[in-house]
Amino acid sequence: MNHSALFLQLLPEAVIVLTALVMLGAAVATGKKPGGEFSAGVGVSIATFGILFAAAAMCFVPQDGATSTPLLVNDALARIFKAVVLGLGLLAVWLPPARREMRNLGEYYALVLFALTGLLLAAGSNHLLFLFVALELASLSLYLLAGFPRTPRAAEASLKYFLFGGVSAAFMLFGISLLYGASHSATLSGISHALEASQPSLLAMTGLAMLLAGLGFKLAAVPFHYWVPDVYQGAPATTVAMVSAASKAVGLVVLVRILQIGFPNVAGSAAWGEMTAGWSLWLAVLAAVSMIFGNLLALAQTSVRRLLAYSAVANTGYLLVALSANGPKAAAAALFYVVVYGLATLGAVAVTAAVERDRGDDRITSFAGLIHRSPFQAVCLLVFLTSLAGIPPLAGFVGKFSLFSHALAEGGGMGLAWLVGLAALLSAVSLYYYLSVLKQAFVKSAEDVDVSTPLPISHRLCITLPAAALVVLGMFPLLLIGPLAKALATMVP
Amino acid sequence: MTPAWTLISAFAAALIVLLLPARAAMASRVVALVASIIGAVAAGSACLAKLANPDAAPWSFDREWIPNLGSRFHLAADGLSLTLLFLTGITAIAGVLFSWNIEKRPRAFFAFFMTIIGGVYGVFLSRDAFLLFVFYEIVILPKYMLIAIWGSTNKEYGAMKLTMYSIGASSLILIGLVAAYAAAGATSFDIAHLAAATYPPAMQAWAFPVLFLGFAVLAGIWPFHTWAPTGHVAAPTAASMLLAGVVMKLGAFGALCVAMPLFPQGFEQYKALIAGLAVVGIIYGALTALSQKDLKFIIGYSSVSHMGFILLGLAAANHWGLRGAVLQMISHGIIAGLLFGIAGRVVYERTHTRDLTELGRFDLWKSLPGAALAFTLATAASMGLPGFSGFVAEISVIIGLWQVYPWLTIAVAAGIILTGVFSLRALYRAFFPEREAGAAPPPKLPPLTWPEISAMGLLLAVSIAIGIYPKPWVQLIDDGLRSPLFQSILSLP
Repeated sequence: MNHSALFLQLLPEAVIVLTALVMLGAAVATGKKPGGEFSAGVGVSIATFGILFAAAAMCFVPQDGATSTPLLVNDALARIFKAVVLGLGLLAVWLPPARREMRNLGEYYALVLFALTGLLLAAGSNHLLFLFVALELASLSLYLLAGFPRTPRAAEASLKYFLFGGVSAAFMLFGISLLYGASHSATLSGISHALEASQPSLLAMTGLAMLLAGLGFKLAAVPFHYWVPDVYQGAPATTVAMVSAASKAVGLVVLVRILQIGFPNVAGSAAWGEMTAGWSLWLAVLAAVSMIFGNLLALAQTSVRRLLAYSAVANTGYLLVALSANGPKAAAAALFYVVVYGLATLGAVAVTAAVERDRGDDRITSFAGLIHRSPFQAVCLLVFLTSLAGIPPLAGFVGKFSLFSHALAEGGGMGLAWLVGLAALLSAVSLYYYLSVLKQAFVKSAEDVDVSTPLPISHRLCITLPAAALVVLGMFPLLLIGPLAKALATMVP
Repeated sequence: MTPAWTLISAFAAALIVLLLPARAAMASRVVALVASIIGAVAAGSACLAKLANPDAAPWSFDREWIPNLGSRFHLAADGLSLTLLFLTGITAIAGVLFSWNIEKRPRAFFAFFMTIIGGVYGVFLSRDAFLLFVFYEIVILPKYMLIAIWGSTNKEYGAMKLTMYSIGASSLILIGLVAAYAAAGATSFDIAHLAAATYPPAMQAWAFPVLFLGFAVLAGIWPFHTWAPTGHVAAPTAASMLLAGVVMKLGAFGALCVAMPLFPQGFEQYKALIAGLAVVGIIYGALTALSQKDLKFIIGYSSVSHMGFILLGLAAANHWGLRGAVLQMISHGIIAGLLFGIAGRVVYERTHTRDLTELGRFDLWKSLPGAALAFTLATAASMGLPGFSGFVAEISVIIGLWQVYPWLTIAVAAGIILTGVFSLRALYRAFFPEREAGAAPPPKLPPLTWPEISAMGLLLAVSIAIGIYPKPWVQLIDDGLRSPLFQSILSLP
């Protein structure tokens, strides 16, 4: 492979990095002038152009699998998720970042772009060390993004995120080194060959477990979830949108790729009565505790951001249910669901940000009378929360339904019925807390003055586009789930 | 007009109403009424066409939808579906007429109302289990909103209780359907395909009760009926009519057309238990109704009692039993709608009380003779007197039951006597009270309005038509029961 081909393959990432540098340059240039302040509008415009250029650049990336290198793959799965990351990233950029005025916006948006670069690279990585570097690029940017407003809450969020993230990164790196020791390779296909040849050693299994713990942190699975509520509550809206949507989607793609390509024959089984050790069983346990903790703790929340955080934990549980079935259709369903989940949560965060503008905080009771204040926001909130609860005709319903049915069908006989049954029942519980927000928005009326300040167009788009996407994907899920199923079938080994 | 117009008119009306200018009360009513009439006429004309030409192939619509899931957009209408569609259409018209005076957020009210109607039509038409479940779940959120926003007495509690029961039951249905799908080869959700597959007895023994209970909760099976009285009482009149009239029938329809055909052996094991619970429900509902003071609670518990007959007919599982169950669905749909309409709209809106003793002060047989007449006829129909639809239905169920569980008919007879007692008690105390000498003259009440008169007349006419000339109805239902779906049940020893 020659260098120009490699460059073409990394063109979207290169465009994003270049945009980030332009952003930093512009920030420095305006900051030097006396009284000059980098305005949010300029930052959003530069970032928007950069992301759109990167999306356009994706058309120039060579499409054939032959361009894959040991470090990078460019299969259909990577392409779809790079597009998803760019889309979700664009929506996140359009959100107003903070409740209050925030300083150094140039650096803020540059960091958002660096985080996007890390996520894009991770979506297409084929080598564990490269993956680690890519994920760390994204994580380090996100730690900073979480603490940017310099409020006590944001500082707490950033510190917790960083400490847990640091420990999980250490775990992940140690796991990778163990895997390298066991298989003499850090590429996924190399590990898979080495593990095929011999009985999986304790060394390799320990390495895999540590790797999964690191990814469990990214995905916000219990017991690696302690940072989630604080980050959702304290971080700026843009950061929350990045963490909940794009970062989670990439975490899942990476997990699918690692497990399906690197470790297909150490899955074990999570089927009732014939459980054998392996990642399938581990994921099933993580899924069960994540669903139970997430859903039950969400019931007790009074802040919508914290509620969304625990809902994120619960939804990770549903995703892991599908992965523990260890089948391509279930994995495709999980990938579909993570996109749908990201859209819904991003939209809900956007509406919460709008409510915070009007009412000053994100308590559930602050949503009272939203339907009178802004019917547009209320109806879109209805779309987001009912999609999360899995009510048709929205995409969340199709996502959950296909996730559960494929997990059961591919999980070995009726073996996963215990896990799918638990997921279905807990998903019914989740309607309670989503409805408690909707009840305020639609049934109650606010006691004091009821005016909504008009939102800027970018913020409105950030609410409209996910809502429209959820409705369209709910009625025509084949638009996304078809390409995903095909991509998984042709995943580059 | 094909039966598709039922679905199209309902969902189109829901959309159109939302697009009307704010506070366009009259326009929303008219749109909803026209759509309901279109739906009823489409269903009625399809019924007539079917009667005129019984051997014609049933109308059906079958398109590819989500091939990854094996789900097709498959609608079809045999005689059984057509009669239930017609019932839904009639209830929709009466519901709109009884809601003619809604002034609070009329657009949202009729949008939610028509969405429920559309979902109900969809369930009755679906021949694909996934599609059926989609329509089944669409109904949940509008139900909540109708009760929580426009309801009375303890509305938020009633709405939340009803919603949680519904979604909990739905998750049981989801588990049952997904289990059947996985066990039948994970290729198709077509109900006929799922019913044709053979499932191991061990699986049927757990999957049938899960699936059946999921549907039966919505049909008000004892002891999972408690959502029904509180929900009915809290709901606005039109929503009570819909809940008791058609939404509870969704549960019975699902039990008959999905749960029983899919797992006939499982059904065989549990049918004695179902019959027992149904009889308990009949007697318990009647006894509880006997001790209530609130007119709506009496009707709510009488619904539990009457729904017991449907479950009893299903448990009898012979031709008379199933036919009686479907007839009772239609009959109870009409009668419950009528009773709730009179109690909730005609009487309550004028007297502002539903307490039996309080109502006695109004001398309703003098001040509202039309309502008293209609309520007397409705009570007669509810008691199952000959000449009304209730008689035809209950006698069929009892004949069916006699062939299977003759000793249970004694308990059912006791239930029928109790029904007579509580119905007459309510009628007597609310409408024909004894006046003490020298009591203050009853206050003047506004006369009946044309929407009330026409709604009451419509429902009474249908009930009497079935009672006097049941033959066409029986023909249509028998046509549906000839479907291969039911042969595995009817052929049980």
